[in-house]
Amino acid sequence: MKLRRPNLHALAGPYALDALDGAERDRFERHLRGCRTCENEVRGFAATATALALAAAAQPPAGLRERVLAATTVTRQLPPVIARRRGVPAVSRSPWVPRLALAVGAAGVAAAAVLAAVQVSTQDRLNSALAHSQEIAVVLAAPDARIASAPTTVGGTAIVVVSRTERKMVVTSSGLPELPSSKVYELWLMGPGGTRPAGLLPPPSSGKTAPVLASGVLAGDTVGMTVEPAGGTSSPTTTPILVLPLPA
Amino acid sequence: MGPFRSASGPAERSDPDLDNLLTLVARGDQGAFESVYDRLAGPVYGLIRKVLRDPAQSEEVAQEVLLEVWRTASRFDPGKGSAVTWVLTIAHRRAIDRVRSETAAAEREQRSATAPVAVDETAESVEASLEAERVRRCLDGLTELQRESITLAYYGGYSYPQVAALLDTALGTIKTRIRDGLIRLRDCLGVSW
Ligand SMILES: [Zn+2]
Repeated sequence: MKLRRPNLHALAGPYALDALDGAERDRFERHLRGCRTCENEVRGFAATATALALAAAAQPPAGLRERVLAATTVTRQLPPVIARRRGVPAVSRSPWVPRLALAVGAAGVAAAAVLAAVQVSTQDRLNSALAHSQEIAVVLAAPDARIASAPTTVGGTAIVVVSRTERKMVVTSSGLPELPSSKVYELWLMGPGGTRPAGLLPPPSSGKTAPVLASGVLAGDTVGMTVEPAGGTSSPTTTPILVLPLPA
Repeated sequence: MGPFRSASGPAERSDPDLDNLLTLVARGDQGAFESVYDRLAGPVYGLIRKVLRDPAQSEEVAQEVLLEVWRTASRFDPGKGSAVTWVLTIAHRRAIDRVRSETAAAEREQRSATAPVAVDETAESVEASLEAERVRRCLDGLTELQRESITLAYYGGYSYPQVAALLDTALGTIKTRIRDGLIRLRDCLGVSW
């Protein structure tokens, strides 16, 4: 629909073949949401690519079937996305609670864990970490800060505090399985702005990780966590172990 | 007969039966997932293998993709395309993600050589051969630049700027050749969407 950017339409081809990277792909995806012509074309190209894929079919290795089927028995499925109708308030089953309303209960424990982790990091990393910690404190103290804790599929719990006015979130964890030094837990923001890296969890100390601050949180974002090669990647390469939609 | 084919038939580009099966998978139906596996594991593995080449790595990624189909089946929207396309799009993206992260990793460290795994290269299904023949015929109808651009991008896993460099051709030209080629391929294959 953006007639002043006709060159973007031509990216429908490379996009359908996954031949766009990074910023260019994000830009085209934004364009795609508002351009019916490209949406239609990408759909046709994707079906065309499917023919290319089917033509490459090969015998999968023996044992793969058993391994995949066994994995399904211990893998929880994602719930469907419910389209919200206007005027019909959704029943609040949200895990998010206002940060300031916390006094008791599991969420209170989670908040305490966040605060404890902040203190640990302040003591440990002193001056260089101080500004960072202050930023974190700002998020935690924001009037609209909300907190949720969610289990990951590999065990352990992630604790997320988000402030929409600050457009920032703070993530800590407890009880996540320890990773070999070649791997790292990476956070993602997934939503209208595409999928963006949102930081790496530091190695845990006594089962907890120091808080990670991510900025640029957008409305409609979902927090994800994956296991990635040490140093992190620019886009997720493994199945997320945590998918937590941020509060609307 | 490969284990990835079921009595209910080969995977077609558009297969309403498979759309229904995925809906059942979203409700946790293990049996429906087995049927989906039997129809799509061959294309999923074959496509990933074509891009990554390394059999061990391909198997690992295929396993991730097939498990992701189980996990995210509720996100499949039949209004947006067929189940076959949905699954194979995930497979291709995961393979590409692996290529890109491998490329980045290769610049950091020397990858240790992996032992080659014996595979039966000729183990293609009859259906795959037929589809391959159809695709080959239609690819032959493209200009050389269109054909090379599309196969390097899709099977080779190269980004279009990399394709442009490989073919020593301007970026804008590659961009339009890929699009024009896909339009011609789509019409030749009689793809409906
Ligand atoms: Zn467009």
